[in-house]
Amino acid sequence: MNPDPLAPYLPMAVLLLLGGVLAVVISFLASFLGPKKPTLQKATTFEAGSESSGHARQRFAVKFYVVALLFIVFDVEAVFLYPWAVKFRDLGWFGYGEMAVFAATLVVGLAYVWKKGALDWET
Amino acid sequence: MTLPDVTFADFHPILPALILMLGGAVLLFAEVFLTPSAHHGPAHVSRAHQPIIALVFTAAAALVSGWLMFQPARAVFLGFAVLDPFSAFLSLTVCVGLGLSVLIAAGFLRHRKAERGEFYALMLFGAAGMSLLGVSNELVVLFINIEVLSVSTYALAAYLRRGPRPAEAAFKYFILGAFSSAVLLYGISLLYGATGTTQLSAMAPQMSAALAKTQGLVYLGLGLLLGGLAFKVAAVPFHMWTPDVYEGAPTPVTALMSAGVKAAAFAALVRVFLALGHNLDSHLLATLFAFLALATMVIGNLLAIPQRNVKRMLAYSSIAHAGYVLLGVASLFVSGGAPTGGVLGATPLATGGLTAALRQDAVRGILFYLLAYTVSAVGAFGVVSALERREEEDRGTAWDLDRFAGLVHRRPWWAVAMTAFMLSLGGIPPLVGFMGKLLIFKSAVDAGLVWLAVVGILASAAGAYYYLRVVVYMFMRPAPETGVLPERHGWTEAALLLSTAAVVVLGIAPGLISSWLSQAGKLFGQ
Repeated sequence: MNPDPLAPYLPMAVLLLLGGVLAVVISFLASFLGPKKPTLQKATTFEAGSESSGHARQRFAVKFYVVALLFIVFDVEAVFLYPWAVKFRDLGWFGYGEMAVFAATLVVGLAYVWKKGALDWET
Repeated sequence: MTLPDVTFADFHPILPALILMLGGAVLLFAEVFLTPSAHHGPAHVSRAHQPIIALVFTAAAALVSGWLMFQPARAVFLGFAVLDPFSAFLSLTVCVGLGLSVLIAAGFLRHRKAERGEFYALMLFGAAGMSLLGVSNELVVLFINIEVLSVSTYALAAYLRRGPRPAEAAFKYFILGAFSSAVLLYGISLLYGATGTTQLSAMAPQMSAALAKTQGLVYLGLGLLLGGLAFKVAAVPFHMWTPDVYEGAPTPVTALMSAGVKAAAFAALVRVFLALGHNLDSHLLATLFAFLALATMVIGNLLAIPQRNVKRMLAYSSIAHAGYVLLGVASLFVSGGAPTGGVLGATPLATGGLTAALRQDAVRGILFYLLAYTVSAVGAFGVVSALERREEEDRGTAWDLDRFAGLVHRRPWWAVAMTAFMLSLGGIPPLVGFMGKLLIFKSAVDAGLVWLAVVGILASAAGAYYYLRVVVYMFMRPAPETGVLPERHGWTEAALLLSTAAVVVLGIAPGLISSWLSQAGKLFGQ
């Protein structure tokens, strides 16, 4: 066992710290260094944006959440498939079988939500 | 690269869970592909078959669990899971609770015309998580299985969203459950930081070194882990959610929660703390669990006494019963010495001498108690679900004691069954609850926790008051004149019959399962 099991995580911690510091520093730098000359034109909604109407905290249709959930499921599937594809030759038939079971489970789920009508936007 | 050495024999301990998951998938597909969308005609026929499908898969999983009970204990999947009689017995208990809950749900849902396939599928998925929680030997696997069972029960608790109470219950359960999962996960991450592994078998030998180096980290991690699990078993002071959630959730779901979720969480608690507790100050662990048990037994029983709402009373009683089981857990650590051998498989089970034998007795007592509580409580919830009527739910009178008044004149056989459940929960001989309490209190006394056993006996004597009050109402109060005769549901009555039989037979002749029970005290690596 590694004498200090947390040692491999040091680069990650450094990255996390640097990322955080950089984000804060850059956003503050911009507000310090950037010249501010607001005009009426600049303050209006920009280009493709449209005038806001109503309150931001309104209720959204539940179908947005369903789509978001489904997206996450298949997104995670893709994340799993990438490393498997890279190591495909090494993992051989065992890996193939495991991945087939995994994908089949998701296909079953997809068939269920499809048939259930969760993918119909209109209804 | 080297491939993980996984064979088909590794799949044995997760077979019950796989069967339950397959059953859940079949139910989902039956729901969307076989059921016509119209609300009449053949739809009703195919929906009536869903509990049968669920029961078939539950029975298959139970049979496999029974077979696993006699397999030699071993680690599988590179030590991520274990096969041992302990987990097999737990899986069997979960299947018993699940099967009875499915029967109750069949009558309950038909009465409310809410028969949809997802209900049973979610029950089966949740039970698969419970079964897997018993075999988990790695903290991340343990966490995932806790989530599997929790997410299913969150959805089930919200299944009938009629009125504010069920919605409140589901939301409360979800928010607090997610919070406790986070606490649990935080504890796991701290333990990983202290030991560099999440596998229990690998973590146990690291504990001494970790304690010497980073004592605070280990204790904080274990404390958070305990907190997360104590939430799931509803131990005081992590019990606040229980009455509201148990009351608001559909009654068959409450039955499953009180039986399966609790049993599985206790199994995880026992496995984790037995594995990691060796190198800790066992006095500290024993004291900790003893005070948890004390608080849970006393507060659970005292809070149950003023309840007129029977469903809520059963919720508080389930807290009290968690306290009795915690008493058994506490006695595990009183005499727990250092392990006698290697952690990965080398230790023969019986060589530890007296303490190991006592420890096995205590584990056996815990498991028997969980089974006893499962059959008694699920049966009691079955009677509650048969009596309640959805019109009164919002007013909170659906479960009032008055609904039980004179039940013996209206449905004599339900009254008899409910009496058996109440007496069993109260620990009155010769019913199964008495045998369970006997085993638990015996191991507590053996471990030297005499004062705590006395408190437990006093608390359960106080508990007899509120259990017997239900019996008094059923037999000695006149039925309300306006009372409508409760409808009969064949499915629910089957569940009542089976649980009554179990409560009586296991109480009179616990020897029937003694060959299983003597096995079940064996944990892998202990």
